Amino acid sequence: MQKTKRARKGRLWSLAFSVPELTILIMLIAGGYLVMGVFSRVEGTQVLSPSAMWLIIVGSFLISTAVAVLAVIGGIGGGVIFTPIMLGFTHMDSLIIRATGLVVAMFSGLISSGPFMKTQLANLKVVFYCGVPITIGALVGSVSAIYLHDALGAVGDGIVRLSLGILMLVVAYFLFTGGGKTEYPEPKHIDPLSVKLRLNGSYWEASLGKMVDYQMVRALSGGILFVLLGFMGGFFGLGGGAFLTATLNLVMAAPIKIAAACSGVLLAISNATAIWTYITYGALIAIFAAPWMLGQVVGGILGAHLLIRIRAGFVRKILILILLASSFKLIVRGVEGAFGIQIPIL
Amino acid sequence: MKQERPKPPLAALMYGEIVYWGVLLGSLLAIIGSVLAFLGDNYVPVSYWLSSIWQGESIYQTWEGATGSLPMGHWYLSHLTTGDGLTALGISLGVFSVVPAIFLSAAVLFREGERLYGSLALAGGIVVMMGVLGLAPMP
Repeated sequence: MQKTKRARKGRLWSLAFSVPELTILIMLIAGGYLVMGVFSRVEGTQVLSPSAMWLIIVGSFLISTAVAVLAVIGGIGGGVIFTPIMLGFTHMDSLIIRATGLVVAMFSGLISSGPFMKTQLANLKVVFYCGVPITIGALVGSVSAIYLHDALGAVGDGIVRLSLGILMLVVAYFLFTGGGKTEYPEPKHIDPLSVKLRLNGSYWEASLGKMVDYQMVRALSGGILFVLLGFMGGFFGLGGGAFLTATLNLVMAAPIKIAAACSGVLLAISNATAIWTYITYGALIAIFAAPWMLGQVVGGILGAHLLIRIRAGFVRKILILILLASSFKLIVRGVEGAFGIQIPIL
Repeated sequence: MKQERPKPPLAALMYGEIVYWGVLLGSLLAIIGSVLAFLGDNYVPVSYWLSSIWQGESIYQTWEGATGSLPMGHWYLSHLTTGDGLTALGISLGVFSVVPAIFLSAAVLFREGERLYGSLALAGGIVVMMGVLGLAPMP
């Protein structure tokens, strides 16, 4: 017991020295929040007191850090946790939630791009090939979200909640079954387009202690699917990392580690396209989104460096429960909003 | 015999490093902006932002009560000395880091003779830039 404690303490110390920028960032955030609490000149309103506002900021940062760690271990984007919960359980405007959801979905992916590129787990050819369709889909999806919100108002919000609730059931199913993912897929037939695009590579597999070569397939079907996945991410304000990983692994035959790393980088690129529509429209309230962004950066680095050894199975069970609860609530609120039916539950 | 790990391609390294440090710089600005916002130097008061969204007011009502209309653009660029303006810049800078990363990566790919992937990177970068510049038609 004491050995484990000492080992964990040792890992934390080594992380503090090996990633000094993370240590500095955490100290700056802690110092900043302390100054905000002590010297705050924010005035209270009928809705919130100054201390409640400070608690919202600090609480958001802490929850976001935990969400990022959970998302990294569970192999899904943080937006899949944030957006459904906020849409299901709060009364905030759905565009504000979706804009902040994109921040939550993308920043852990953005910050992990550096380490993933260095270790070659993210394949630049795959990222740039899938990057074009996913960014186009994301841009169209985000603009469609604004149009729907503008044209249908509360009914549009109901439709979004209802369809997101159904989508979350699919994600929960994927997490439950594991999506039939295979660690090292061995494709039987390689299509000419994949050969022409040279969608292959090799990476260092630490668990085997050797280099692993891989060849990806079905470049065309993968590309088409990425347009749809980009649209979904931009429209709902969530990354859908579980779907990206599944497409790369099951359809295009990327090894699971390559699929997970490429999905993180692609998630960041597609959301970096979609979010500008929300920013320029005014749907991203910076003061509310900032602690969520900072939590994702800190949690993303922490999750990637420290928690690799934690059992993913346990975290997945927690995620499935969260997704089922929020999808149930989303469907109820979606039916209420879209069809004007009052369901007396919760 | 121990296998040697190959070095990552320069274009990949460049992409990863630019995004990583861009996000960290954006985070720094977001922290400073948030502190300034709580110390009272703001475009729109923090109490108004948080109370309005906490009550469930729509994005139109929130902006209408704050400035009269939706911003429809990069409003923070003309309010960089305020807390909320600087915070928005920090978030935007973190997101924007993808743009120079893609274009510089594309340049390296072209220099190395990888025309196909250089062109794909360029195309992806152009789509992201369309989002940044707000070129998609809005209602």
